[in-house]
Amino acid sequence: MDVTISKLPFYCVIIPLIASFCMPVLARWKKEFCAPLATLATAAVFVITLVIGYQVMNNGPLAYHVSGWEPPWGIEILVESLSSLMIMLISGVCLVIMVYSFVAVKFELERIITGWYYTAFLLCLSGMTGLVISNDIFNMYVLIEITGISACALVVAKGSRMATEAALKYLLLATIGSGFILFGIGFIYMITGHLNISFIAIELAEVKDTYPILIWTTLSFFVVGFGVKAALFPLHLWLPDAHSSAPSPSSALLSSLVVKVYIISFLKILFIAFGLEIFHETFIRHLIIVLAVIAMLSGSFFAFVQIELKRRLAYSTVAQIGYIFLGIGLGTPWGLAAGMLHILVHAFMKTCLFLCAGAIAYQTGRKQVNEFAGMGYKMPITMGAFTIASFSMVGIPLFGGFISKYGLALGSLEAGIPSIILVIILSGLLNATYYFPIIGQAYFSQDEHEAHGEEHGAKKFQKDQLPISMLAPIVVIALGIIYLGIFPGTALNFINQTIAMLL
Amino acid sequence: METLQGIVDNYYYMVAIILFVIGMYTMLTHSNMIKKVIAMNIMDASVFLMFVAVGYAHGSQAPIIRDNVEIIYANPLPGALILTGIVVAVSVTAYALSLVVKIYRYYDTCDYDEICEMRSKE
Repeated sequence: MDVTISKLPFYCVIIPLIASFCMPVLARWKKEFCAPLATLATAAVFVITLVIGYQVMNNGPLAYHVSGWEPPWGIEILVESLSSLMIMLISGVCLVIMVYSFVAVKFELERIITGWYYTAFLLCLSGMTGLVISNDIFNMYVLIEITGISACALVVAKGSRMATEAALKYLLLATIGSGFILFGIGFIYMITGHLNISFIAIELAEVKDTYPILIWTTLSFFVVGFGVKAALFPLHLWLPDAHSSAPSPSSALLSSLVVKVYIISFLKILFIAFGLEIFHETFIRHLIIVLAVIAMLSGSFFAFVQIELKRRLAYSTVAQIGYIFLGIGLGTPWGLAAGMLHILVHAFMKTCLFLCAGAIAYQTGRKQVNEFAGMGYKMPITMGAFTIASFSMVGIPLFGGFISKYGLALGSLEAGIPSIILVIILSGLLNATYYFPIIGQAYFSQDEHEAHGEEHGAKKFQKDQLPISMLAPIVVIALGIIYLGIFPGTALNFINQTIAMLL
Repeated sequence: METLQGIVDNYYYMVAIILFVIGMYTMLTHSNMIKKVIAMNIMDASVFLMFVAVGYAHGSQAPIIRDNVEIIYANPLPGALILTGIVVAVSVTAYALSLVVKIYRYYDTCDYDEICEMRSKE
């Protein structure tokens, strides 16, 4: 294989890393260059990931050995089709959010923080891409920490009291999570003597009958660790505070991508390192299914009672993480594929919703869900995108959310647990109960403050008073949701190639 | 008896587990934020202890190759890995402490219960 192409995955970690360390220097020297350079770096990564995606689709997985050391000793980067899809998603959504933050950062953050905000953003990007493509579990741990710390920095960038408290809570709980993960990695090294996932898989298959209890322990450490990191239901306590108090581009990034990359690495460890046999022999899948079902229902219940829009969206993320874990727990081809597709769809939906929430706060300063009267006429484009994302959240056909829910339903039939379908439908209806009132208010009721003085019942569409760099990302993401709902084939192709390898 | 002997022989794993539990318990139950950060460090240290212990075999020595001497070498890889872990732990500690300082400036206390009380009065 061509040498330059096999090095590409390495570049999509190293480019944002270098760019992120240029930011503080640049912020001191020429502040206005920060945003364009950061966008340029993200765009470069996006282009590289597109090339990687094309290569992986046509020529199979790309492997790169960092600084030339062969796998059992050195760090291996392995991009199979699922990872290539995920790095495309990560860099694409990051690019969109980056464009949005041109104006949003000036509006929501203090001027002095701008440079540091981009540092944290790019660090987070490089951590996430690295985490998805790394094939070495200790390297994964380091990248988990990079992602976690920079995610905390993105929360605290707001500088408010709430944000600081939320960030400390997030940091402490995330450290418990990574402590558990590192303990698990230590156990794996103890059992197998390898850190490379492919070699662990070979070794574990041989010795799994010798150390049954130790393997149980390791698995439970990983479930707790990644559960805390990915906000699986009873371990989600940090998520609502952190995601609702962060500035809106950061909440979009945290909610749509950061919690998902941990799920991908959990999937890798669970299915590649431990393998299907251990997955079926232990009761790990029952545990995951039960937790996922509880998450799907209770996350929606909690979201229902929230009055602040961003808090409601944050609790809705808890519920959606349940869907993804349900897909993993089912462990059937359709279930897994739908779970992975839901990562994609949810990333689009949540980015769209959080960006809309930020845009609404930018134009009107409203943050509560009961202040949305007449919003559909004041900001037709933003509310249109909001409506699309909400419909997709509920699972209405033609929108992305429908495909993944339909896939999950098929998966639960495959796994022989048809009662799960009821839970999926119930959760979808619960989603409707907390999204539709917002939309209904926005289109069908009049704003009391502005109704005075105008002739009665005049509902006129006005143009959104948003700068183009805020409006364009929202529109692009909303179109992406519809595209995924009508043509899910390309994404499913990528996912199914990897799943065929796993199952 | 055999299990007991095994536990006594591998006492360092036991110590690691006990430290881990102490750290986690303190972190989740104490309301003082500085104590939480200290507990975080105890927890991290326990993981490092466990990891380094993996590389040790009974009677093994530092892996410096000497001629014509038959000795057991300790595995240097876990130690090297944990060096990275220690660096991560140090930076997380610094970061957490800086956040505590920031919270102290807002509330004049770093006790979580007191902060909750203050917030409920507002």
